[in-house]
Amino acid sequence: MKSGGGRHPGTRSGAVAALVLAALLVKPVQDFIDARAPAGEEPDLLFFNSPELVRKMALGFEPLLADLYWMRTIQYYGRRDDEGRRRESFENLHTLLDITTTLDPGLQDAYRAGSCFLSEPPPVGAGQPELALELLEKGARSHPLQWRLVYERGFVHYLYLKDYAAAGETWLEAARVPGAPEWLAGLAAMALSKGGAEEIAVSLWRRQYEEATSDAVRDNARNHLHSLQVKRDLAALRDRIERHRAATGSFPPSLGTPRDPMGTPYAYDPRSGRVDLDPASAVRCLDVP
Amino acid sequence: MNRILAIARNTFRETVRDKILYNLILFALVMIGSSLALGQLTLGNEDKVILDLGLGAISVFGLLIAIFIGIGLVYKELEKRTVYALLAKPVRRYELVLGKYLGLLWTLGVNLAVMTAGLALALGYTGRAPAGAYWRLLPAVGLIFLSLALATALALLFSTFSTPALAALFTFFLWVIGHFNADLRTFGELSGSPAVEALGRALYYVIPNFGNFNLIDGRGVLQTAGYARPIDPWAVAGAGAYALLFIAFLLALSVIIFARRDFK
Amino acid sequence: MAVIEIENLTKDFAVGFWRKRPVRALDGLSLEVRAGEIFGFLGPNGAGKSTTLKLLMHLLSPTSGSARILGRPAGDTAMHERIGYLPENPYFYDYLTPRELLTFMGRLFGMGGAPLARKVRELVGEVGLAASADLQLRKFSKGMVQRLGIAQALINEPEVVFLDEPMSGLDPLGRMEVRRIVTGLRERGVTVFLSSHILPDVEAICDRVAILNRGRLQEAGTLEDILRARISGHEVILSGWTEGTLEAIRPWCSEVRAMGERLHLRADDREDLEAVLGFVFAHGLELVSVNPIRPSLEEYFQTLVVGK
Repeated sequence: MKSGGGRHPGTRSGAVAALVLAALLVKPVQDFIDARAPAGEEPDLLFFNSPELVRKMALGFEPLLADLYWMRTIQYYGRRDDEGRRRESFENLHTLLDITTTLDPGLQDAYRAGSCFLSEPPPVGAGQPELALELLEKGARSHPLQWRLVYERGFVHYLYLKDYAAAGETWLEAARVPGAPEWLAGLAAMALSKGGAEEIAVSLWRRQYEEATSDAVRDNARNHLHSLQVKRDLAALRDRIERHRAATGSFPPSLGTPRDPMGTPYAYDPRSGRVDLDPASAVRCLDVP
Repeated sequence: MNRILAIARNTFRETVRDKILYNLILFALVMIGSSLALGQLTLGNEDKVILDLGLGAISVFGLLIAIFIGIGLVYKELEKRTVYALLAKPVRRYELVLGKYLGLLWTLGVNLAVMTAGLALALGYTGRAPAGAYWRLLPAVGLIFLSLALATALALLFSTFSTPALAALFTFFLWVIGHFNADLRTFGELSGSPAVEALGRALYYVIPNFGNFNLIDGRGVLQTAGYARPIDPWAVAGAGAYALLFIAFLLALSVIIFARRDFK
Repeated sequence: MAVIEIENLTKDFAVGFWRKRPVRALDGLSLEVRAGEIFGFLGPNGAGKSTTLKLLMHLLSPTSGSARILGRPAGDTAMHERIGYLPENPYFYDYLTPRELLTFMGRLFGMGGAPLARKVRELVGEVGLAASADLQLRKFSKGMVQRLGIAQALINEPEVVFLDEPMSGLDPLGRMEVRRIVTGLRERGVTVFLSSHILPDVEAICDRVAILNRGRLQEAGTLEDILRARISGHEVILSGWTEGTLEAIRPWCSEVRAMGERLHLRADDREDLEAVLGFVFAHGLELVSVNPIRPSLEEYFQTLVVGK
């Protein structure tokens, strides 16, 4: 109405001034709050960290909410801040995964990728392999016919907890699930007999890499395979340097150009005899057995 | 100011005489009470279960109160034409808007106080929470109050120009989105498209960010070893400032719309 | 002195969902209401009466034109301290009692304490709600709400009172009550602007009226003046007549009826009337009465609504 504001020009202009002022100040205040938030902390979870409560409140929209929570989990895990850093602590990771899989127990990716995120030691993951086992057991309860979820549990035992006996037992359990591939029994046998062999690690990661259904899991497996390859390459190169010195009394002037799995030549210093991964290499080297 | 207070008082009286309110509070108290039973099912951390469930119940039922009572009151005022007699009195339209809003806050405050007392009783029943936890309930519930005050301002704004069903839907929708809008921004950043990123960033500031009020949860209240999660008073103050600004914005907009409105 | 000045007031409403088109609810209304009078605002349903009152209360804003009350623009809230308003089909918070509602309304005028309580008690008695002053309104009949509506319009002892259909929903006794209250207001010097379509009530209490139809002012003035302008002839009654009389006067009359000793005639214009009366005096007949035939307010209304 034309005269509605005109009747009380004071009211109208006061309201407009308040409107503009508040609108201008909202952003700086929001930025202040964000700056106060602990680095890497996800502030949104806090009131609803009981999976059952969230499920009750989903009111029939559980699958949709599960998808949303799964997206959030991935963002929580993979998000980088403005300087490209990832978060350093993942204390809410398991809660998020728990909520996601409670809302939709059918989300198998959440168990498999989630156990990988949880198991990896910091800074890559949460370093909570026990919680990964819990998550996978929860998955196996919902999917008793999925040998893969059992197999992944053995994987956690073997690679992260370094409990080779438990790994072997778990793989035997997985081999008994109807439809499980035959190689599982062999894997179990190897774990139970040899324990700790690098070949097992390589074959485990290779299967993980080949069968991964998500990029995050595949990248992680590739990084592990590369790390194992680098470890082997460096051991071989150092062995060669040592033998050369033993034979000639000096370091070899050149090693040729051996390259790491991403194609960058290894860095070799003929004066000190040191060989290592080039700092500029694209390989993300991880701590491997 | 006297007129605003008179309207606020009358609004409060209206809610107090409304049976829906008691039903909602009763539900909330039952839910808090049932957390006692649930708490016994877990091992060792029943305090945290009670607090998480209790704070969640306060938040959700507070929202229901804010939406249904908030929208209902304003709608009734317009639909049943009580506003005609009121505006013929020496009452300015902005006084009516502010009075209604204050009355609703009053109602919300009393409700939260009742529910908080229920939660404190439940916590006391276990007898395991540290003494400081009861004091730390206050800032935790205070933040919930701020978020509900914001939701009420949204409900008020929508009900100045829309039907109650739509207003309730809009408010609830924004409340949900408002919990995810940090994710909206992240989604924009991850998209790799500068346009989507700018949009995500803009939405982050434009949509009321209810995530700002989730600073203190069960762990923050308990502060026991293993659950320690410090309360940052500056962040709480920031959330308060944020709520005040956003509410001022929404109320100013409501006043402008309401002042232009024809009452057919 | 004019207390209400309405000048060329026009209001359009937009109707239609997709393609809004304006519909004129009030078209160039100009009116003046003088201090201390009871002014009746008449018209069939949908004529624009309530629209006018809402424009005066500034619940609506005019498309064009202006309205002033007590010399102030309609939107001046300070002026609202000095007026009272009863909306059409009023509804008040049904969780309140009459006492609470009136107290709340009084507070909006800055009243309070013992004087307010006294005023509330007085008003409740005046509109006949003393027995139910502490019952919640949800138990009230329409007539009781209407009375309370009048009471709340008077809480501030206004100088001008606007009543939109104050008689509607009331039984004959209630209408009498309202008439009594309204005439009581006039005695106290209060100006009353009253809209209604219940004509006998208006005829009984209003000093002046305005008649509105389809958003346009048809007529304004005293009822007497308005209806006199519509005199459609005279009725003459004679006695002591003969058959010859009948034959002689028939050309001047549009209607001749013999009723026993008396003869009822109708003369449509002045010339015919003078001819009839001349014949009566010339022939020594006995004249019983001569009355102007004017339409009743109802009839006038009918011609308004049907005729257009």
